[in-house]
Amino acid sequence: MNENENENNFESLCRLLVLKRHETPPPGYFNYFSSQVLQRIRAGDTGKSANWLEDLFGQALWLGKLLQAFDVKPVFASAFAGALCLLLFLGIIYAERPDLSSQPVLQSATTAASFAAISPSLSQSAGQMGIVSSTDPVLSLQPVASLFVQQNSLAQPVSFSLPGN
Amino acid sequence: MSAPVRRTDDSETPAPVDEESLVRQARRGDLEAYDELVRRHQERIYATIYHMTANHEDANDLAQESFIKAFQALKSFKGGSSFYTWLYRIAVNKTINFLKQRKNRIHMSLDDLDFNAEHDPDLMALISDKTPRREAGLAELQEKLNAALLKLSEPHRLVVVLHDVQGQSHEEIAKIMDCNIGTVRSRLFYARQQLQALLSDYLK
Repeated sequence: MNENENENNFESLCRLLVLKRHETPPPGYFNYFSSQVLQRIRAGDTGKSANWLEDLFGQALWLGKLLQAFDVKPVFASAFAGALCLLLFLGIIYAERPDLSSQPVLQSATTAASFAAISPSLSQSAGQMGIVSSTDPVLSLQPVASLFVQQNSLAQPVSFSLPGN
Repeated sequence: MSAPVRRTDDSETPAPVDEESLVRQARRGDLEAYDELVRRHQERIYATIYHMTANHEDANDLAQESFIKAFQALKSFKGGSSFYTWLYRIAVNKTINFLKQRKNRIHMSLDDLDFNAEHDPDLMALISDKTPRREAGLAELQEKLNAALLKLSEPHRLVVVLHDVQGQSHEEIAKIMDCNIGTVRSRLFYARQQLQALLSDYLK
């Protein structure tokens, strides 16, 4: 199809598109346009403020391509979101599992428990003496003293009697 | 800082300075020369961006940013193409990037039609009783036309805007879009076909 034939086929469309030429900005708009541009240049405007995302994507091309892929195929976005959720879920499960670094402590605790199981009488008497079983690797056999100073001897009962009664 | 416009002795009207020397002066940081370059191209750059975005505010921001970016990049302008083509490329790339980001947030803010639109015989014929939608006024037609243009992909819309609205040649469009003339022609044909289908109610 040659160019003239093409133009003829779209004659009324081309006439309609002429309407776009009549769309004009507000009166006086171009009187101040160049001064605004120069003002922004003088102020050291880098043109980043209004479109900082574009500049960010310009610097991180992979990020821009990733987001472009999301735009083109929403299935990528769903897959990416699914992968993130899975990662988060695995992270939560892993965080709730007993920490590997606490394994020696657990072993000691188990040792202490088995020791108590072997000699229940000993553990009972130790309990009476105030020995507290602990999960600490070092098993203290010393009776635990009270953490607070008892001042019962200094306390005196007080009674109030009103003069009218 | 040298003046961008020379005045001749025999008349008060300033002699136009060629674009090349204005660019040279602007590259040295002459803002007066750059001001003249902005004035020369502001209307066409704004119009291209406006017809692509169908939004006055966006077009204003993008046009200003394009000129700012061009000034900052002037040192990298080798002169392989004309300043006008180079500036267009900056504006077009900026606009297409912007449109990709706002893909699903289309909001039209259309400029008013000028007084001449009501006296254009071709346009009046389109809204006469011969058209299937004869009740359509110019404003409605304007809105439908812009909505139809927004349905085209960015490269197709750009070709229609540059060729059918701004009247640029295929060769010039090929330079701006950095593609061959055949691609420009096929894009224009496809875009027109799409528009004709979308606007069939308004076309004879």
